[in-house]
Amino acid sequence: MSPDRVRIDRRRLHVVREEERVAAKLRDATQRMFGRSLHIRTVDTGSCAVCESEIRLLSAPHYDLHRLGLFFTPSPRHADLLLVTGPAIRAFDRALEKTYGAMPEPKLVVAIGACPLGGVYQEDEFVHGQLERVLPVDVFVPGCPPSPLALLQGLLVAVGRLAEKVGAEDFTTLGEEEAP
Amino acid sequence: MSADTASTLLLDRMDVESHVQAMAQTPGVRFADFFGSIEDDQLVIRLVWALDREHEYRVVRWPARGTGYPPLSEVAPAAFVEECEIYEQFGVSPGKGRALNRLVIPPRAEHSFPRLGTAPARERPLPHASHYVSGDAFEFPFGPVRGVGQESMYMGLVTSGEELIDLYLLQWHKHRGIERRLRGEGVARALFVVERAEGLSAVGNGWALCRAVEEIAEVSPHPAVNRSRGVALELERLYNHAAAIVALCQSTGLAVGQAQGEIVLEQLLRLNAAVFGHRYLFGVLAPGGTSRAADADALMTTLPPTMDTLRRLVDALWTTNSFVDRLESCGIVTPADAARLGLVGPIARASGQDIDTRRDHAFGPYRDVAVEVPVRATGDVMARMSVMVAEMEESARLALDLAGAGLGTGTVEVPPATGSALGWCESPRGESLLWVDLDAGRIRRARVRPGSVRNWRSFDDAARSRNVFTDIAIIEASFWLTVAGLAR
Repeated sequence: MSPDRVRIDRRRLHVVREEERVAAKLRDATQRMFGRSLHIRTVDTGSCAVCESEIRLLSAPHYDLHRLGLFFTPSPRHADLLLVTGPAIRAFDRALEKTYGAMPEPKLVVAIGACPLGGVYQEDEFVHGQLERVLPVDVFVPGCPPSPLALLQGLLVAVGRLAEKVGAEDFTTLGEEEAP
Repeated sequence: MSADTASTLLLDRMDVESHVQAMAQTPGVRFADFFGSIEDDQLVIRLVWALDREHEYRVVRWPARGTGYPPLSEVAPAAFVEECEIYEQFGVSPGKGRALNRLVIPPRAEHSFPRLGTAPARERPLPHASHYVSGDAFEFPFGPVRGVGQESMYMGLVTSGEELIDLYLLQWHKHRGIERRLRGEGVARALFVVERAEGLSAVGNGWALCRAVEEIAEVSPHPAVNRSRGVALELERLYNHAAAIVALCQSTGLAVGQAQGEIVLEQLLRLNAAVFGHRYLFGVLAPGGTSRAADADALMTTLPPTMDTLRRLVDALWTTNSFVDRLESCGIVTPADAARLGLVGPIARASGQDIDTRRDHAFGPYRDVAVEVPVRATGDVMARMSVMVAEMEESARLALDLAGAGLGTGTVEVPPATGSALGWCESPRGESLLWVDLDAGRIRRARVRPGSVRNWRSFDDAARSRNVFTDIAIIEASFWLTVAGLAR
């Protein structure tokens, strides 16, 4: 079980109001729902190619992402989650912006490795140094490179965050506005 | 000349053209590298020739005053990439009006975009040399955001729908200014950066840096420590070639082969972690030795069964027609092109070039062990895979032999020295060169030339040789290069 899941459960103990209890139930439900069909797009903003190697191994028999209900998708338009490697090269800004912009809401950004954390390259004319300067990062997975198991752990934390994001959407109001 | 040497020659600028003419026409002489550096506020150009048969590297340098230097790529076509690079970084071009490609400077970059020297007076308007699109052909833009878990790169594919007519690559999306970053750094920090310039060749590139620095400081690690480095280098080759085989299975749609290859790859990466403590062997090397003790027992017990798994996979692959049919006559690099473009590593060896720095320019532990170099003549994807498989067998043998002779760890002190030297190593992608100029232990100029730099040069030729659109992924897998290595 991910640390995040533990935190959510502990928080639930203090929930007293009925609405919040329902919201928590919804959050759990969406977590289950998205947990079975979360689509991932990867993007490289200047990595050394090693994080890519570990990402590719997520679908290898030892880790087998698919059994967890997670899938890679070639199109950002089908993606719920963006896995980003590298120190956020400035020359790549536009491609990154377009990739992120093409993803439907709610969406997540998971930063992979030491580079997006600023652990390898300082901010300068070539790189932003930290991914957070260009994208809202939901989960950082540290390591140089993080092992596939660490990546899985990061993804599981991210699924929890996505459920929170979905839970925060006001679906009822939206439905009323659109009703004839 | 004995093995393991590099000599330096100073040329007058006027003699450069005749020198290059003479060297380019000498059999057994290979163009290896070509770069500039600013010394006493003046651009000095260096040219590195590999005299493989004479076990020697020859570094030639001359001051580039005024308008530049004669267009060397007319006599030595391999020099083209470096001509583009020197223009981008130092603003000096080989003759007036020559068409040069854009390498690492992004289009519409400000004049102030950081470079090693001064920016050219005028940026090239086109990001690539002109190519031909007419009739039924159209240009299919692919990238820079490509497939899952692939590096960023733009591919311009000119196709009529099936047949590939032309192809060009843009790789500036990943330029991190590695050589510029290295200026003023100490050796330990430089090694950290060089390992991460092209992470999949961390040991190959890192060892080349260590060798250059150790030569300047006139120290050499203990032979047992050098054997540890050798084991790391061979393990790096093993996992890279396994990853290439996985990519070949994936690109040919062979899911079962891919899964079995991934099992071997994961076992090899875990072996790296068991022996040296890091799946990709980062931080194993240190200036003057190694920083991590190698676990020889883990190597001896785990490598042989892993190789057995690999052999079963390779036997199955060679007898799978749907796989072999896609490899044969696909992505041909002719031996003539391989020589002309100065290719290195498995790609060169699959195209009839009998070169390997471990044997031809023996260093460290390779002075005491014989390295068998597999060579194939056909130059297609099949030949490249065949070379990789043979190299894996040889690497496993070498790793076990070196470990059997005893491994050591620790460093000799590398005093802060002044001077310049060339270091080299046979990374999984071929010859890796690192030329370093030190000033009291700090880097004045470091030239990082991974094997990828040389070999990307032939990718468009291979892709154009009677291939269809879907062959590109197969050819890319068989090259197994990194964008990070070129765009560094």
